[in-house]
Amino acid sequence: MRFAALADRDWRTGWAFAAPGLLTLAIVMGLPLVYAALISVSSLTLLKPMLQPFTGFKNFAIVMSDPLFWDALWLTIKYSVITVAGEFVLGLGVALMLNRAVTMKPVYFAILTIPMAMSPVSVALIWRMLLQPNLGIANQLLESLGLPRVDWLGDADFALWTMAAIDIWQQTSFVILILAAGLASLPRDPYEAAEVDGASPLQQFWYITLPMLRPVAAIAVIIQLINEFRTYDLPYILTKGGPGNSTEVLSFFAYRRAFLGLHLNEGAAAAFVLLLIVLGLTILFFATLERRR
Amino acid sequence: MQFKCSLKAALLGATLLAAAGSAQAQNVTLRALMEDVPETQIIEKLLPEFEKEAGIKVEFEKIGYGDMHDKLVAQLVSPESYYNLLEVDFLWAGEFPAAGWLEDLNPYIAKSGFDLKPFIPSMLDLLGQTKDATPILPMYNYSMGLIYRTDLLNDPKIKADYKAKTGKDLALPATLADYVALSAFFKANTPVVGAAMQGQRGDPNAMEFSNYLFAVGGAYLDADRKVVLNSPQGLTALKLYAENVQKGAQQGALSATLDDTMRLMCAGDTFSMVTYWWMLPQLDNAEKCPKVAGKLALSVMPGGHGESGGWGWGIPKNTSDESKAAAWKFIEWVQGKKISVARAMEGHAPVRSDVFEDAAVLKKYPFYKTGLEVVASGKSFPIFAYSAQYEDVLGAQLSLAAGGQAKPEDALKAAADGLTQLLNK
Repeated sequence: MRFAALADRDWRTGWAFAAPGLLTLAIVMGLPLVYAALISVSSLTLLKPMLQPFTGFKNFAIVMSDPLFWDALWLTIKYSVITVAGEFVLGLGVALMLNRAVTMKPVYFAILTIPMAMSPVSVALIWRMLLQPNLGIANQLLESLGLPRVDWLGDADFALWTMAAIDIWQQTSFVILILAAGLASLPRDPYEAAEVDGASPLQQFWYITLPMLRPVAAIAVIIQLINEFRTYDLPYILTKGGPGNSTEVLSFFAYRRAFLGLHLNEGAAAAFVLLLIVLGLTILFFATLERRR
Repeated sequence: MQFKCSLKAALLGATLLAAAGSAQAQNVTLRALMEDVPETQIIEKLLPEFEKEAGIKVEFEKIGYGDMHDKLVAQLVSPESYYNLLEVDFLWAGEFPAAGWLEDLNPYIAKSGFDLKPFIPSMLDLLGQTKDATPILPMYNYSMGLIYRTDLLNDPKIKADYKAKTGKDLALPATLADYVALSAFFKANTPVVGAAMQGQRGDPNAMEFSNYLFAVGGAYLDADRKVVLNSPQGLTALKLYAENVQKGAQQGALSATLDDTMRLMCAGDTFSMVTYWWMLPQLDNAEKCPKVAGKLALSVMPGGHGESGGWGWGIPKNTSDESKAAAWKFIEWVQGKKISVARAMEGHAPVRSDVFEDAAVLKKYPFYKTGLEVVASGKSFPIFAYSAQYEDVLGAQLSLAAGGQAKPEDALKAAADGLTQLLNK
């Protein structure tokens, strides 16, 4: 009886402490989300800002009947896979190097964290200047090496890859930090046993490091997939979705619908499709965490 | 006695209220989101004069064109706009009044006795004036023409080479086809490219292409507002536009904006650019652009017609009455003859005919005569509620065609269909 009273009091205290945070979250995240959901099933446009009448899933149907939506979705998947793969391979390589006993490790970590600390808008603006085809330093460097100039952002065949490379440059640091932390936490015993058994470093990496690192790697990959699916800043600053539609990812498509097309309802519907995809990835993320436990 | 005391108290109260009201008006700070272009800087220099005269502080927040629409819309749909004075592009002159975001300026004009007669009528039309309302008062025009290098056009070596290769005399092109051919010649045979082009999808390439369309006699809409973009003239314009991007323009033209083209021209790396006529003094400036200063001239777009555009002043509905009154006071001041002439002396692109014809202005800037021709011969992009979206729709198709990802015929059809759909919305 006394135990039950104590538990009840703890429960109340817990809620009392959590309430301010939960309330703030509900206001700054929950309310806009509910409002966006209402907009996505309404006739609201910037020219007619009324939530009535309720239109059901008409806006979703309009958005999904636009071939550009499917192009943008496919491009988003392609872009996310390219960037996450690049970030993972590079990140794993650097994390493995830093996992060895190297001097000045904190200095390397500090340098590697710099891109991550920069805002994507600043990153995009800096790279836009560096890659300017006529006056930018990248092409001047290529020319000095006797190589032809490249139209980094103005050629439809290059633009997406250029954007992905910039993204990889910025985001790899995050993957390095997660993987380096994962590597540092791996137990030493299996490696000692493997060395006694005569396993080569490659075999140790393949049969010990990778399997043991898998849960951490999965988390890094899923977090980055979620990030990349939401990419908006880079195409906005670098290309405005062009040339043609070659860099129009789903978040940019939603922006165009909402703010250039003035159809907030259709923009919200497109954003909700994106949200569902990200939600799926988030569920996958937590399922991975559970499996790890 | 008691009555006298009450009367005194009432008078004192009224005086205090009046003083408070006046102080309130003086305390208004006008905030405007402005495009970061020379015209804004010209006005900015004159602001202390207004602040001294009217006692109203004015703050300009300067950003690039590409970000302005979204920032303004976010404020205009909010309960109270942070910006209480608006700089409105003609492309939004359909959308903003249709959404009910702007005050009608007619009551302010009538109350203050502001004279609209000197304003060029086409500028008032461009910015959505109807017989019932004036939602936006013209601020400056940005009609487009051709800025080119006179030194290259008169270079004996280039002249001889051109004659040998084409059999023609090198001269300022009279038609769009001649211009594109000349542009390709420069890129292939000289160290400079023929044209600095702003081919980034959206506003940059939509505005640029409009010059090509009007230059060959094409149009977006006919007199009955029926879409006529998909025409033989439209196709010629698009093919020539794509040809110039591919054969005459700088590398990276499809991702270039106005800033990129300005830098290229300033660096002396191009023969020409289709741009806003008032950019001439910015480029023909020995301090800023020593490589090209004294070597530039302006002409009407080859073919005789270019794109016409303009900015205006508006007052948002979602701001206080004090702010509205202060905003009108500023608009009246900045667009009056005296300040307009002062601005023109610094390079302002006038919207009043009396400023274009002012002797002092013409003495300082003889090219304003050509400027008036550019403005007078300009034609407008379609203005309606979805003009900004149409720029994006058209821009995507132009980008696809110029980049070789779509046939000009298909891109033109898609652009015309897009316009029809948006007009029918």
